[in-house]
Amino acid sequence: MSEIKLVFTGSVGAGKTTAIEIISEIPVIRTDVRATDSETAKRKEKTTVAMDYGELTLEDGQKLRLYGTPGQQRFDYMWRILVKGALGLIILVDNAGSDPIGDLARYVDNFRDFVSNNQMVVGVTRMDIASEPDMDFYHQYFAERGIALPIFPVDARSKTSVVMLIQSLIAMLEFS
Amino acid sequence: MLSGEAIAKLESRLAQLLHDCDTIEAAVVSTLDGHMCTMRQQAQQYSLERLATMGSTLMSLGDTITAELNMGLCDNIISENQNGIVAFMHINNDLVLVTLTTQKNALGMLLSHSRRCAKEMAELL
Repeated sequence: MSEIKLVFTGSVGAGKTTAIEIISEIPVIRTDVRATDSETAKRKEKTTVAMDYGELTLEDGQKLRLYGTPGQQRFDYMWRILVKGALGLIILVDNAGSDPIGDLARYVDNFRDFVSNNQMVVGVTRMDIASEPDMDFYHQYFAERGIALPIFPVDARSKTSVVMLIQSLIAMLEFS
Repeated sequence: MLSGEAIAKLESRLAQLLHDCDTIEAAVVSTLDGHMCTMRQQAQQYSLERLATMGSTLMSLGDTITAELNMGLCDNIISENQNGIVAFMHINNDLVLVTLTTQKNALGMLLSHSRRCAKEMAELL
């Protein structure tokens, strides 16, 4: 594997663009515009409407092509476009959002077909803002539904934290 | 979001657009982040909600591509298809106009009327 396409998806404000920006070695290609609806605007000034794109080369020479999706359901056609050809998916869930478990369920369900043939990890962000639900709750949620997905707390502003999430995904790809 | 008065002005101008150019079968105004503001069509044959959101995606991609190539602002995006043409263009920094026709030889009419409409909508706001 010399090049790997990975996709960041997840709820609005979970930190998808931030995570790609913090690890990309090229200036990130962004398609963010001013948010006009109050629900999004109260959380952030701009929102992604097409995609983000960044690149990261790993120590072994593998190049990661990093794509970020818009978060809102109305852009779900971009979700389907962007996962084409991807080997791995990273779902970011905003723990400080109004319904993080509902968000998680929605994204896991939406990408159920993708994960049957590929790999997926989940990162829970903004746990410094909202500590509940805690990681035990997420693990229990998965266990009760028979979902076997790695899930980690992540700080999308921290390169170390985001790289850790990606390394987990790469390891899953290598051993799958 | 736009005020009711602003949306009424846009609705009126869209109605005029479809009256002046009956080869334009539908037109949509959306915000650049994908919310429908208003729409109009000659016959109720299209579901235009998704087109509003897709219009925002395409215009934003157009802006990103032209910025990457140092080509200034993206004026419009034209999708020429087997059964018609769709045109996407900025009204201002926040709004997008999407127009479509099923007449494949009507690109000139589509663009000229749509550009004029977009320009006048910007002035109305």
